[in-house]
Amino acid sequence: MAEIIANGVRLHVQRLVPRDRPCRSGRPAIFIHGLGIDNLSSFYYTLANPVARAGTEAIMYDLRGHGVSERPPNGYRVVDFVADLEALLDALDLAGPVHLVGNSFGGAVALGFAVANPDRVASMVLIEGHFAVAGWAEQMESTLRSIGSDLAAGNTQLWQKTYGRKLGRMAELADALINGTTFLTDLHKVDTIDPRALQELTCPVRAVYGEHSDVIGYAHQLRQFLPSLTMTVLPGLGHFVLTDATATLREIVVNWFTTQDSLIDR
Amino acid sequence: MTPDQILADVRAMLVEIIGPEYALGIDIGMTTSFEADLELESIEFVKLATRLGEHYGHRVDFVAFLADKTLNEIIDLTVGEVVVYIADRFTPARTAAVDG
Repeated sequence: MAEIIANGVRLHVQRLVPRDRPCRSGRPAIFIHGLGIDNLSSFYYTLANPVARAGTEAIMYDLRGHGVSERPPNGYRVVDFVADLEALLDALDLAGPVHLVGNSFGGAVALGFAVANPDRVASMVLIEGHFAVAGWAEQMESTLRSIGSDLAAGNTQLWQKTYGRKLGRMAELADALINGTTFLTDLHKVDTIDPRALQELTCPVRAVYGEHSDVIGYAHQLRQFLPSLTMTVLPGLGHFVLTDATATLREIVVNWFTTQDSLIDR
Repeated sequence: MTPDQILADVRAMLVEIIGPEYALGIDIGMTTSFEADLELESIEFVKLATRLGEHYGHRVDFVAFLADKTLNEIIDLTVGEVVVYIADRFTPARTAAVDG
């Protein structure tokens, strides 16, 4: 298990390198997962492997406070997650442009990173991407606070007894993050993304949303602001596109990197 | 390398990953399911894959082993399937092919 200190935080990193053929380009794909109980495994079992086998190195990491990365008591603003990613790429000696894949909250991190570092992004894939616009933090905070108060009021050991070890562990982790760190208040300190900065982004962006997703509004706003956006809305699906439409997403993402790399190398 | 030796290795890794307190009540054998019996979290399965790679070296490519499986197939995996995969990687014919 690779552990890398980035921005002063110990991050758990997994790299999948194409085994039987060389990497197609020097541009790896960095996978950024969602918030709360999510971690890099949601990509490990779905997209990372096919991407690596198709010739693009796949790099996944657990965000701070998530998975088996360190859980510092504070530093959970979007800019902190962006700074972690910058430091991680530095630590991995990746100075050139990379592809970014963000799922849910990972989308907000990818967009924040791209606005701050436009030269370091070759392309982006946003899966049900969150988008730090006005009102976003309030929506996230209200959802997470209700989960957090349930956990704080209850007893995570009771969860374990009632629902088994796995759910008990998930409840423990969510409790530690939501009630044991500045996660909720930090989330509130978001700097919304300036639409003009988005309009200046030149990297190609591929977005995929579920038709019935609670964040479908972000898809409409992205359409407005991103000049180089290719959007797919998957009919009948909600927010969990990554697990509910894995095969479709695999095809979209693998084709996207193959096309982007051939366009860049041309 | 016999399947019994491999099972002992995998069992020791699992006890370390899920914690001896929980593992104490479970007899980890070939038919033990990662999901139904051990309730292994997906990130813990990633940890196991990493440990296996570190322990057995390049012959065991757990990522390739998982590559052709759907999420449901991965969830339904048993300890025995992993042990059989590793044992297969150490058969003389396979060893010669991998080590060239």
